[in-house]
Amino acid sequence: MDIEKMYNKVSRKVDQAAVKITRIKIDQVRFSNNEIDINNSWDVEDASIFLAKNGRTFMFNLKNENDLDNLLDLSVKALSNIEKNDDFISLNDKKQKYRKRKENNEKIINFDGSEYVNKFLDEIRPFVKRAGGVLYKKEISNEIMTPFNNGEDSINGIEFVARAFNDYDNPAQVSFMTSSDNDLIKLDDAKDELLELSKKVGKTVEGKDGRYKVIFHPLCFASIASYTIPMASAFQVDSGMSLFAGRMGQKIGSSLFTLYDDPADDTMIGARIMDDEGTSTKKTAVIEKGIVKNYLHNNSTAKKYNTESTGNAGIINPSPWQINVEAGNEDIGDMISSTKKGLFIVNTWYTRFQDYREGVFSTIPRDGIFYIENGEIRESWGGIRISDSLLNIFKNIEGMSKETKKVKWWDETLPTRSPYVEVEGVNISRSK
Amino acid sequence: MEEIIDRALEYASKNGKFAEVRYFSSERNSILMKNGTLSASGVSKDSGIGIRIINESIAFGAINSREWVKIKEEIDNLIRKSKHTGRHSFSNEEPIKDEWEVGQKIKISDISFEEKIKRLKEIDSILQNENMGMRIISLNDNVEDEILINSEGTQIKSKLPKLGFMFFMGYMENGSYEQGYFQLGYAGGYEALDEWRLEEVMKHESSVLKNAVKAKKIEEGKYDLIIGPEVSGIVAHESAGHPTESDRIIGREMAQAGESFIKKDDRGKKVGSEIVNLVDDPTIEHSFGYYKYDRDGVKARKRYLYKNGVINEFLSNRESAGRLGLKSNGASRSSEWDKEPLVRMSTTYIEPGDYEFEEMTEDVKDGIYMKSFTEWNIDDIRFNEKYVGREAYHIKNGEIREVIKRPVIETTTINFYSSMDAIGKDLEFVAGTCGKGDPMQGVDVWMGGPHVRLRGIYVR
Repeated sequence: MDIEKMYNKVSRKVDQAAVKITRIKIDQVRFSNNEIDINNSWDVEDASIFLAKNGRTFMFNLKNENDLDNLLDLSVKALSNIEKNDDFISLNDKKQKYRKRKENNEKIINFDGSEYVNKFLDEIRPFVKRAGGVLYKKEISNEIMTPFNNGEDSINGIEFVARAFNDYDNPAQVSFMTSSDNDLIKLDDAKDELLELSKKVGKTVEGKDGRYKVIFHPLCFASIASYTIPMASAFQVDSGMSLFAGRMGQKIGSSLFTLYDDPADDTMIGARIMDDEGTSTKKTAVIEKGIVKNYLHNNSTAKKYNTESTGNAGIINPSPWQINVEAGNEDIGDMISSTKKGLFIVNTWYTRFQDYREGVFSTIPRDGIFYIENGEIRESWGGIRISDSLLNIFKNIEGMSKETKKVKWWDETLPTRSPYVEVEGVNISRSK
Repeated sequence: MEEIIDRALEYASKNGKFAEVRYFSSERNSILMKNGTLSASGVSKDSGIGIRIINESIAFGAINSREWVKIKEEIDNLIRKSKHTGRHSFSNEEPIKDEWEVGQKIKISDISFEEKIKRLKEIDSILQNENMGMRIISLNDNVEDEILINSEGTQIKSKLPKLGFMFFMGYMENGSYEQGYFQLGYAGGYEALDEWRLEEVMKHESSVLKNAVKAKKIEEGKYDLIIGPEVSGIVAHESAGHPTESDRIIGREMAQAGESFIKKDDRGKKVGSEIVNLVDDPTIEHSFGYYKYDRDGVKARKRYLYKNGVINEFLSNRESAGRLGLKSNGASRSSEWDKEPLVRMSTTYIEPGDYEFEEMTEDVKDGIYMKSFTEWNIDDIRFNEKYVGREAYHIKNGEIREVIKRPVIETTTINFYSSMDAIGKDLEFVAGTCGKGDPMQGVDVWMGGPHVRLRGIYVR
């Protein structure tokens, strides 16, 4: 698809238009029980077109350029008949300067996913009963054109997730993600961590309910952060159904807690140089030292809130790119050894909220739940649930590790860099 | 288009033990309103070709180019990958030649965007009049056209129109907050919008939140519990549908949505009381997960997942059935053309029994009626689950009494189904989007059931 041709055609019909063309080339290897199940591949191009005229807005998407004329006619007709959209003011009319991406991805581009998975399975097979997972090799490019800006961006990256079941058929899981050749060596670290965790998980016992100090593994805290940060979208805040609504400037967490949307970290797969309306992206503190510092904005929501765009368009609904939880000074070994009674949780899934305003939720830990007593891991648990509120968790953060991990897992975890996080008094519940 | 996919199949078949080509095109209209503002409206035309080739392993590719050179290049890529060592079982099935379409009384194409917006505004104004200060509502329709051909001679053409409605709303009074979410879906045309009686539903759901903000928690302990159809539906989906998906049972989803407490030799094992019958049925007319043939080209049919309290049948596609040495029962679905088909549910429900609602409540001395739910989740083997009530009442001496704030059940699948002692005559469905796969595939489903009574359930 030719963005200039498309833009010229659609922009003539409206006051403002934004055209985004996304091209993806992805190779994926999925494996389970020590064998490859399927090789999936995608070679897909998609155009997303935003139109605004007389305060009204309309969007259309297409995958075949031949559909453009028909969809444009339909959209222009709809535009003249629908009502105004008060959520839209204007695309960003300031000329943007885009940063130059720090690319270091030659090895990633030439990476052979099948070969790696087979090697991984050969190496892990003697030590675990069975293993499964997924490896993605991604190449994603975006072109944006608006009346005021235009730019191109592309990123290559690797995502790898592996879950291993030990002789007791209990699982452990690791996640790895990068868009930098320098990190590829850490794929082996992920394998080593999986073997270590798998051994540690051993035989599980049923966990007990109560309030515990919890040390969250980066994968687990990344999941919590991934459910938190989309609520900072000004669109979500505006709807009222957000933890951040009415809390700008308020202290909602421990002073140790700083949460960024960080599209400028080019070593992660969610990095972007520009958003969907052509605004240059930047690192934005959503929570700084426990205080709500910024919502995530596009140009229109920013105007509504008398501030500047944070470069997070979605033209209607701003959204985060990738997460950075600021590291601290602690060592994970010390965090565990200084815990009198607590839990170390590796991963979690199925997070659901009964109250978005207060962040009341529950989530189900998995892949390593370790009971710590007097500084030592005593038991491996199963069958528990974290049933608490985000506010309680954020307020009771007592420690952050120096070490961080870059993770992304399935639909649960956005690309995130997170340390190990220590939280006092987390409510644990279980089936009765 | 048919010429291109025929050519693609012919080329792929020469180099694959099995080859399949699927052309898919859909047109989706969407409208979203936030607190009365028309925040987003648009149309999306999605189209492309999905190709699956099996040799020593399975390879699936998605491409939206119409250029033969690029399609051929993709097929060559898939042939090369399918020759790597891996799993490649596929059940033997009869080839099908057919065309099918779901009818629409009021055609999607006959309703203008303005009319759709007008209808959505009317719904929003009901909520506004009920003082629901926080609300996101959406209406979308979609028509999917598909051609599926494979190297065994299958040729299926289909047209599937669908309508979906969703609301998410919050209500605040004196600093106390409650929220609700609800989804409806239908295979067919705009006749659904009237059949859904949305004015009544919106007014009722508003009153539920208004009552809940003033309500109190019930004392923690064991209670008899009556669940409404919406709760029956989520229970059926989460703890009968998911654990009987054969790809989970054989570990195919082990690093994502997980596995199952059910093992491959567990058919015939007891999971609940004898009155428990759990069904998944893609053939219910106008159901949100309706299909006549699945994505593998296998004819859809009704399946009893649990029958008389025991595990009866697993949901399967050709891949998982092949690995288990079985025939597929037609549960292969993918959310879009560019995703590999997986084992999925369609309409999953608890089969109705013979009780009237009053018969169920009359011998409950101290119980809870949980009509609908808000937060819920279940572990990755589908055994430990949690449901939090959205609309819930205390039952005292057979009478429905005061509203209860967010009662919480945390129990196990076996305990839940074993505690059932009465199943209602009624049957209702709600829509949902079921997530599974990597990348995530959200497929349209219905979930439902009757009112059901359970004895001695621990409630917080």
